[in-house]
Amino acid sequence: MLRIMLINDTPKKVGRLKAALEEAGFDVIDESVSALDLPLRVEQARPDVVLIDTDSPSRDVMEQVCLVSRDQPRPIVMFTDEQDPRVMRQAIQSGVSAYIVEGINATRMKPILDVAMARFESDQALRQQLLAREMQLDERKRIEQAKGILMRMKDCDEDEAYTLMRRQAMSKQQKLIQVAEQIIAMDKMLK
Amino acid sequence: MSNQLDAAQATHKDTPPSTNAVQASHAWVDGSDAPEKPLLNLGFMALTDSAPLIVAATQGFAQSQGLTLELKRQPSWSTLRDKLATGELDAAQNLYGLVYAMHLGLGGSPVTPMAVLMNLNHNGQAITLSRRLREAGVNNGKSLCEFIRQSDKPLRLAQTFPTGTHAMWLNFYLGSLGLDPRTDIESVVIPPAQMVDYLARGDIDGFCAGEPWGAQAISTGAGFTLITSQQIWPDHPEKVLSTRADFIAQYPNTARALMRAVLEASQFIELSQQNREDTAALISGRDYVNAPTDSIAARFLGRYEDGLGFAWQDAHAMRFFAGGQVNVPYLSDASWFLSQFRRWGLLEADLDYAAVVNQVQQLALYREVAQSLGIPSPSAANRHSLLCDAQPWDGTDPEAYAQAFSVGMKPACA
Repeated sequence: MLRIMLINDTPKKVGRLKAALEEAGFDVIDESVSALDLPLRVEQARPDVVLIDTDSPSRDVMEQVCLVSRDQPRPIVMFTDEQDPRVMRQAIQSGVSAYIVEGINATRMKPILDVAMARFESDQALRQQLLAREMQLDERKRIEQAKGILMRMKDCDEDEAYTLMRRQAMSKQQKLIQVAEQIIAMDKMLK
Repeated sequence: MSNQLDAAQATHKDTPPSTNAVQASHAWVDGSDAPEKPLLNLGFMALTDSAPLIVAATQGFAQSQGLTLELKRQPSWSTLRDKLATGELDAAQNLYGLVYAMHLGLGGSPVTPMAVLMNLNHNGQAITLSRRLREAGVNNGKSLCEFIRQSDKPLRLAQTFPTGTHAMWLNFYLGSLGLDPRTDIESVVIPPAQMVDYLARGDIDGFCAGEPWGAQAISTGAGFTLITSQQIWPDHPEKVLSTRADFIAQYPNTARALMRAVLEASQFIELSQQNREDTAALISGRDYVNAPTDSIAARFLGRYEDGLGFAWQDAHAMRFFAGGQVNVPYLSDASWFLSQFRRWGLLEADLDYAAVVNQVQQLALYREVAQSLGIPSPSAANRHSLLCDAQPWDGTDPEAYAQAFSVGMKPACA
């Protein structure tokens, strides 16, 4: 039976994932572990598979574990040669990163990844990004428009108008497009 | 450019299926230099080094090249790597060590032919040690060396990524003191944003990382600066702008437009003191570096203090442009990192350094883009450097350079 270590160090709830993996017949170790203790815990628990949230900052610690384990009898890897890259891409998109002891057959990994991908809280952000994108397409035009308004109002040249807009944006930690929108809105109001 | 891609793939027979399939729907734009892909996902980490990307994406530099850059902050270098490899990110800020690890298939990454488009910054990292060590009399390399040799428990020093620049600066500095980082200390990886907490708790004795973490260790009293990275190598290459080799082959105009936007943003940051200050204010925002402006601004503007009572205006502080000198993707910058991989056993066999760096460093493309903006770029492919061990580095023979260190290659006896 494969031993799965579930690293639990982000706000995502892994409780349901643990239960689902156990129901599917896997031996699951659930670890809330600090970055510093992670390499030692992996060495002690000797899991066959380590699952970790793609958003976990401790992923770089796992990278160290991979490199160090290269010279050991149980090398731990992120990808295996026979793995389908589409599966890895899908896993990353759904927020799961899997580390595997080299030599474990990819087909044995598939049911684990399937459960993990289904049970990790899915990423709604992607869909929202698509909406945001459609709105961004004429950014350039609006920046130009705001620049024109500013040149007229301040009776200044193009460079000066750009500088004024950028200074405003940067000091307020905003995007130039946000300042441009404000200028356009203000101009409409004053007309 | 397609020859370059072929060359990269030819050297790696085990290259996994590329991401071409996903992107094949984007056709070439014939007879136009407009970007073939106007919307790019650009990966970055919460570090002050990211300034040119944040400025390019948010202050209209991308738009004037016909691009919209969607900034994607990444929680770790590993995740940045995976998203870049699978095409979820089009381009990203990167570590030399990570780009080449991806290209060669080291560590947790499959072989992914890569491209370094340009350097993003020089300098601005540091090695920080704990207050406990300062109280024990450690205040420079010599006293650190004595402390380590007398101590019965190895010091635990953290870096940010096993093949990353911080690991290489730390290793190189310890090596220059005659210490072997593989046996004389315990080297651990800690996410940068957690460094200061671990140091304050005494869980680690020191760390090598980017800013603002070194400055924060001093302002909170947790530690002091042992040495800055620019003291290890004045004007050393730090972060780069990277993409996959297949991206350039498929979207050559987009790659150029991206480079122009970032290069113009780099130039803008250094145009005046006011612009530098504004940039520090911008990048400290919640969506970017997410740290108090005060903790970013001082070292960003070159004002250093080391927590031992010394303060100075640094002549080699973090820089992004310097008349274009920063951004040239010199072959010797890249082969230095390969020489260090070799030195510390990350690469077991001698490799064809020249072939590898010629595939990855996009020197010709960079020159073309710089020229189109009237930014001077040198004809030399290598540059001359002098590092803190007093050894010159000019990129001519990386293998001989790697072999010549008194510490390195075969692990030294502890």
